[in-house]
Amino acid sequence: MKCPRCVQVIHRGAGLCPHCGFGLAEADERYGSEDVVLRRLGDAAGLIRAKDRPKVSAALDKFCRRFPQLFFAVYTGSGQGGGNLRQFGFWLLNRAAFEDVPVDRPNEAGILLVIDADSKSAAVTWGYQLDPFLTEEDTFFCLTRAHAYWLEGRFADGIVRMIAQLEKVLRKRAAQARRDPEKFERKVAPPARTGEIARRIREGHKHAAARTVAPAAKTEVAK
Amino acid sequence: MKAALALWMLSAGIAAAAGSLPLPAWNPEDKESVKKGQLVPGLTLLTEESLAEAVKPPVEAPKPEEVAMPATPTPEVGEQYLEAYFGERPQHFLVDPQGLLSAKDARDRENFLDYHSGDSAIDLFVYLFDGHQEIPSEVREEEIVERHFSSGKPAVVVYYYLGAPEKSDIYVSPLISDAVSAADQRRALASSVEEALEKPDKVAQFEAFCVQLAIRIYWMERATGLVTEADATPHLRPMAKAEKKEPEHALTTKVQAIAGEWGPAAGMMITAVLVVIGGVTIARQRSRYRFPVFEVPPRMGGAHAAGIGAVISFGSTTQSPSAQRNEVPDYLGL
Repeated sequence: MKCPRCVQVIHRGAGLCPHCGFGLAEADERYGSEDVVLRRLGDAAGLIRAKDRPKVSAALDKFCRRFPQLFFAVYTGSGQGGGNLRQFGFWLLNRAAFEDVPVDRPNEAGILLVIDADSKSAAVTWGYQLDPFLTEEDTFFCLTRAHAYWLEGRFADGIVRMIAQLEKVLRKRAAQARRDPEKFERKVAPPARTGEIARRIREGHKHAAARTVAPAAKTEVAK
Repeated sequence: MKAALALWMLSAGIAAAAGSLPLPAWNPEDKESVKKGQLVPGLTLLTEESLAEAVKPPVEAPKPEEVAMPATPTPEVGEQYLEAYFGERPQHFLVDPQGLLSAKDARDRENFLDYHSGDSAIDLFVYLFDGHQEIPSEVREEEIVERHFSSGKPAVVVYYYLGAPEKSDIYVSPLISDAVSAADQRRALASSVEEALEKPDKVAQFEAFCVQLAIRIYWMERATGLVTEADATPHLRPMAKAEKKEPEHALTTKVQAIAGEWGPAAGMMITAVLVVIGGVTIARQRSRYRFPVFEVPPRMGGAHAAGIGAVISFGSTTQSPSAQRNEVPDYLGL
């Protein structure tokens, strides 16, 4: 978990960034505090050609079908975020109301791709529901798949390619979460208090002692 | 030692013989002649005429039945062959019950006539006789042809005399005789005979005769309407293709054998694999992926999202995506 402004690691549940003090209120001051009505494919910069729009829409629909809890949205703009796409993506996913997304899929289950035509940059932001399952490296891996297309100006192809790669990553994570959900839960659980940590250490010592004593007791009984 | 013993036995035998036979004595006349020089003793031994020749024993004259007559072959075909020649419609195109041709030559001619039969609408049957032979007068050739060749595939029947092609005769099935006149038949035969007579030996003559007559039969086919102009041309192409494919015959046979043995099992196996692959693909297409939902405390005031992913720039075509990854905070920009 990183701050979208200073890109420093922050702890779970931090009200503001402990390093730079960034929060949504600061972003609201910059971009506005009103909700923004959007569709999943918002091409404000006009990067996607009309004939390619169905292809992108089909990829978005397929993503929604494949992952019934999630949705994927694309927003393209010019000069968005003042050069900092992380802050803009963070603000947009918190303030946007996607009118073509079912109500049972809140923004917590959304993944937003923001493309800035001016700075020729792209960023990914996701909701809280995906916190345990996505990492910054995952999104970078997906963005690299689209990089070659975007260099050639083929934004639609790049988006489709990126979504396909993201589907692969999420399928894998879904399978892992089905096998071992605790592993992912631990990533987002509230930090334990000091007393709680001490109790766990003591319980761990008890379990370890029981495992080592048990074989010795068995040998004595045998004698 | 053995040689000495043999010499002793020989001398002993001569001595015993001398002792048993009386010595010769001169009669007075011979003695006078010797003295006069009229008789030379041993003269008869020095001459080439032998005494036995001088005194020949009388030989009886041979009886008429013992006198060997010069070989005069019988002109007619032996009765033992008539059934084989004319008893039924021949099973082979070359009818040679007398074995006048060698096995190889007979096989070559038979192969040619078989090939002709496969390529033509009119069969060619050749009855082979020796050059000096004649068909017995009781055999009526026209009747034989009419009896055996009136039904079935039309045929041209030739009585060929090995070494004497000019004696050959031609007969045709009634279907052909209706369309081809006797004069045309004769011309076909004459043409074939001319071709044959240009060859030096009788086997080569027979070969040339058959080839030329097969060519003439082609024109008979067209005259009878058995083959049209359009039908005649494509016949050559399948033959050429078939000849080219012949080297692949062994491989094709092997493949067919393997396919016959394993084909159904392999087909079922491939079908099963395809069904499984198709089923897995469809299942994966239709599968849905769900995530467990955990309570995540909000961060930085964001009610819905605070997951910050990677930022990448695509401004440079010369730098890699990793080099264009943006991990630097933009404090000064705000």
